[in-house]
Amino acid sequence: MTQTHCAAVSFAGAVKTFGAVRAVDGVDLTVEPGETVALLGRNGAGKSTAISLLLGLIEPDAGTVRLFGGPPERSVRAGRVGAMLQEARAVPRVRVRELVAFVAGRYPEPLPVARALALAGIAELAERRVDRLSGGQTQRVRFAVALAGNPALLVLDEPTAALDVEARHAFWASMRGFARRGHTVLFSTHHLEEADRYADRILVVDRGRIVADGTGEQLKRSVGGGLVAVDLAGRATDGLERLPGVRSLEIRGDRARLRTDDPDATVLALAALGAVRGLEVAPASLDDAFLALTASEPEPLTSPATEAL
Amino acid sequence: MLDYLRLEVRRTLRDAGFVIGGIAMPVLMYLLFTNLGAADGSWKTGAMVGMAGYGAVGSALNTGGGVAEDRAIGWLRQLRVTPMTPRQVVVGRALTGSVTVLPAIVAVLAAGGLLNGVRLAAWQWAAIAVLLWLGSVPFTLLGLGNGYRLTGQTTGVANMACNLGLAVLGGLWFPIALFPAWLRSVSAYTPTYRFAQLGTSVAEGRAPAPGAVAMLAFWLLVFGSYAVLSYRRSGRAG
Repeated sequence: MTQTHCAAVSFAGAVKTFGAVRAVDGVDLTVEPGETVALLGRNGAGKSTAISLLLGLIEPDAGTVRLFGGPPERSVRAGRVGAMLQEARAVPRVRVRELVAFVAGRYPEPLPVARALALAGIAELAERRVDRLSGGQTQRVRFAVALAGNPALLVLDEPTAALDVEARHAFWASMRGFARRGHTVLFSTHHLEEADRYADRILVVDRGRIVADGTGEQLKRSVGGGLVAVDLAGRATDGLERLPGVRSLEIRGDRARLRTDDPDATVLALAALGAVRGLEVAPASLDDAFLALTASEPEPLTSPATEAL
Repeated sequence: MLDYLRLEVRRTLRDAGFVIGGIAMPVLMYLLFTNLGAADGSWKTGAMVGMAGYGAVGSALNTGGGVAEDRAIGWLRQLRVTPMTPRQVVVGRALTGSVTVLPAIVAVLAAGGLLNGVRLAAWQWAAIAVLLWLGSVPFTLLGLGNGYRLTGQTTGVANMACNLGLAVLGGLWFPIALFPAWLRSVSAYTPTYRFAQLGTSVAEGRAPAPGAVAMLAFWLLVFGSYAVLSYRRSGRAG
């Protein structure tokens, strides 16, 4: 039996409820081998539950979850999966090398320990005690633990939560180094830029469902619309939010930023008002796309008073 | 599995709390109890077995504290996404418990032989060590039961309560001959009293009483079931 034509990950109608909450509410998704895929969603959107299902830590109430064509547990036991779980803390009283070597030793074809440490950027911490490292260093140790077994599928649940900007960049450089070796990587995040910059494909998760699936570019285009900004030049802001196409208005200092479904119509209406000083039209950002995809009711207009602060 | 055992034993021995509370304390208490005031040879021997047993019980229960800690920090969850099976993890933990009771037993017996002049035949030393080692298994299971069921902090408290309560009731600290009659009859049913009895009968040159073995086997069953139930419950809770 060959694994070549099997998807690395496939969900079909997967449902998981906790009491009255449908944390994962009918998810279908496929990740092909070699892809780097982001699960993008707010906190509580169902990303971690989806990942627990994927790893076989919990069972779906309905539907199926498969890894490499079989139940998740089979792939986990066969050493095809490495994971960095959310909210795991440092393992006390163990050295970095001991920990990574132990985990590597559980897998059939692990990376050499030195290699795993180097990929995670912690070669110089090998002899340090894990519980005496900084938060960013601990995060990297957990990354090294996840990739030590040289798994075909690497799963990272919110891997950069609690990292500062610099540590975050270093982390993603490491992740890319691993993905380039032909591994499948699936990570969850609530940072739009991270998903856009580091994933081949973004799955937007909201309320337990996949609401969009595509590259960052595709998501932006699917939403359409854009951002129109003009200088107020002392003009009152009343009525701007009622111009054609406008979905929301935001005042920043002396500048009005209008999110619009129809930039052309909005610009023409602004021109009719004579409000074109410093006119700027930008395509929808991934932020806009994300908000449009995950907002259930029309977005409330941002209060100028709070924005002016 | 051996790697897991090695890793966890190493982690336990690096725990200052374990080394002080589980090894140094029983030795110190033994030396204090037997050298303050008049102490005859039989008390020195009896207390040696009792304190070795007390150290072994503490170390065995400590295994459960480790489990609770590993659950809290997500280490057990991390192990579940490696190729290790849950069974290997549990058995590895239980074996860790049975290895980490040895330092306490050896240390107290050494204090008895080297510092307190306890004289026994070579086979008696060996038999006492082995019996205390084997007899500590029920306590490891009790600790695991607590560790899989309770949170880190409550496990610590529960283990401490089990340790002190069972040690005092079972006559590991003071011989139960000093107890009032009603308390003595309670002691006879405790696993700790029967546990120490394994060692004291050997020290007196006799084979362990069938009653002691039967009572310990009963507790082994009770604590074993408790550990299995707790483990299943923790598995469901994810």
